[in-house]
Parts: sequence; structure tokens; C-alpha cells
Amino acid sequence: MIPSDHYTRFYNEVFKFLEAQGEEVLEAYFLAISKNQEKHILELIQTKGLAGMEEYWTHIKIEENCDMDIDRNEDRLELRMNVCPSLSKVMDNDAEPMGRYCDHCAGWIGPIFDKTGYHLVYDVIDRKKPQCVMRVFKDAAKAKEAEKDVKLLMGWPGHKV
Amino acid sequence: MSEKLRYAETGEVHLDFHGATDTTIEFIIGKFGLAAMDDIFRKVGKDVYRSIHEDLLAGDTGQLVRHWRHFFDRENCDYDIAVGDDEIVLTVRHCTAWHHVAKLVGTPSPHFCDQTTRTNEGMAEGSPFAIDTEITGPGACRQVIRRRT
Repeated sequence: MIPSDHYTRFYNEVFKFLEAQGEEVLEAYFLAISKNQEKHILELIQTKGLAGMEEYWTHIKIEENCDMDIDRNEDRLELRMNVCPSLSKVMDNDAEPMGRYCDHCAGWIGPIFDKTGYHLVYDVIDRKKPQCVMRVFKDAAKAKEAEKDVKLLMGWPGHKV
Repeated sequence: MSEKLRYAETGEVHLDFHGATDTTIEFIIGKFGLAAMDDIFRKVGKDVYRSIHEDLLAGDTGQLVRHWRHFFDRENCDYDIAVGDDEIVLTVRHCTAWHHVAKLVGTPSPHFCDQTTRTNEGMAEGSPFAIDTEITGPGACRQVIRRRT
């Protein structure tokens, strides 16, 4: 058993292999993981919207031991990851970190927001620092406006930046 | 025998990661075949668990046994470890990872337990030890460390 605690380091090895096979393979993998994740989050978004997202990430914050602030208002949900446990483990690793490790996050959640009609603005800030800011908007124009303040904007399959 | 435990963790556990592992196994094998998946697991054994691999190369099984105890306890598995003169036997009666995936998807990948078999092989590669993994039932196995003859 690879412990669930070490999934991220396994994931890192998988990314390195897939990146070497080509960008389209990496994207196909993000979509496979996105499909897998639908069973955990899709219904929450479809039935409760931003509140459902807050419920999901409040659970994740606890189970994944995240140092993260969650803020929701009528228009948007904001996750401010102060210390990301996933990238932290990949950096504290005897194997080499994959340079674009952070891309997987928008890679799986972006397609789910596309399916549910929400608009994601994902600021990774710096791929070598375990922090990021994710904002999800109901309104496309507000999301576009928010992109202006982003340091390193992430895309996802079907949504290049 | 060293006392280190390089990969210890604290806090909560997120068992749904095992579901993502299952998805990953199906994806890699489906697109690139079994050998590609096996290679990735062996790299996990050798490179990600380098400290355990290096201890085994040096003839020291202590960290691997502590590693097993630490993580099988953290995931609340039903298991025991018998340390004998000639072999060390880890008997897993209820693997939390396998049963959690079964709850999520019904039937885990037939290759789900390859993560154990191949990662063990990677950790032991080039060392005086072999680690043999025998799947004894759904979510159950026996892992044996022996000196190579």
C-alpha cells in the first residue's frame, strides 16, 4: 500500500512520466482524475452551488491538513492556501519534484466548474511556493476582472490561458 | 539498526486519495500497458522511498518495519508483523486502502495491489533482501522480507 499520506509523491512520479509522453496525455489524465473527483464534489455544486463548494473544501481542509482560509460571499468563493500540504510533500521528497506539479489542481477542478457553469480564476502565484489563491465566480465578467490581479494564472483542459 | 523514520506523517488522513490511485492505475495501464505502471511503482520504491531503499542496501530492515507499522496504524488496518530470525512477515487481514476503494467504485482495479508488490520490489532492488507480496484475498495480503539466497 502506498499510504494516502504519500499519494502526492506517487502523483508526482506519474506526472513526470506523463509529461514525457506529451501534453495531450497529461491533459487526458487530468480529465480522468476530474471524472473520478466528480463523485465527491459534482452533486454538492449542482445542488448547493458556492455553499456546496465551501462544504467540500472545508472537509478537504481538515482531511488534507491544509493551512487554508475559505471565504464565501454571494458572488464568489475564495480559497487562500497559505501552506499547501500537497506541494510541500512533493518538495520535501527524496525524488525530484515535477516542475509543473501545481498544474494538476486547476487541471481537475477546472473541467468540473465548466460543467456546472461557474468561472474559475486560479492563481498559482509561483510553482515553487506551496501557496495559491483559487476564486470561483458565478458571473463571467467578474471572473475576467479578477484575472487582472493574478500573478500566475492557470488554465485547464479546454481552457487555455 | 537505524532508528530513523524518514517518511512519518501526522494529522488527519485523506483516504479518498486511494480512489485517485485506482483511477491512475487504470489510466496508465489502459494507455501505456502494465510494464509502464510497474516501472512507475518501482521508481516510487527506489526514489521516493530512497531512505528505506538505502537502508535495505546497507542490510538494515528496521526502517521498513517501522514504516509499515506507522502507516498501517495511521490507516487503521488490521495487520500484524512477525519478526523472525530468517524472515519478517507482514500479514494484512484488512487493507483500509483496498476496502475504501471498493466502497467508492465497487471493484478496485485488478492491478490495485501492484502498488504494494512493485513498490516493495523497487525498495529491495539491489539489496540483500527480497520482499515477496502474496495477495491472499480481497484487501488481504502477506508481505515477506527474506535474505536472498
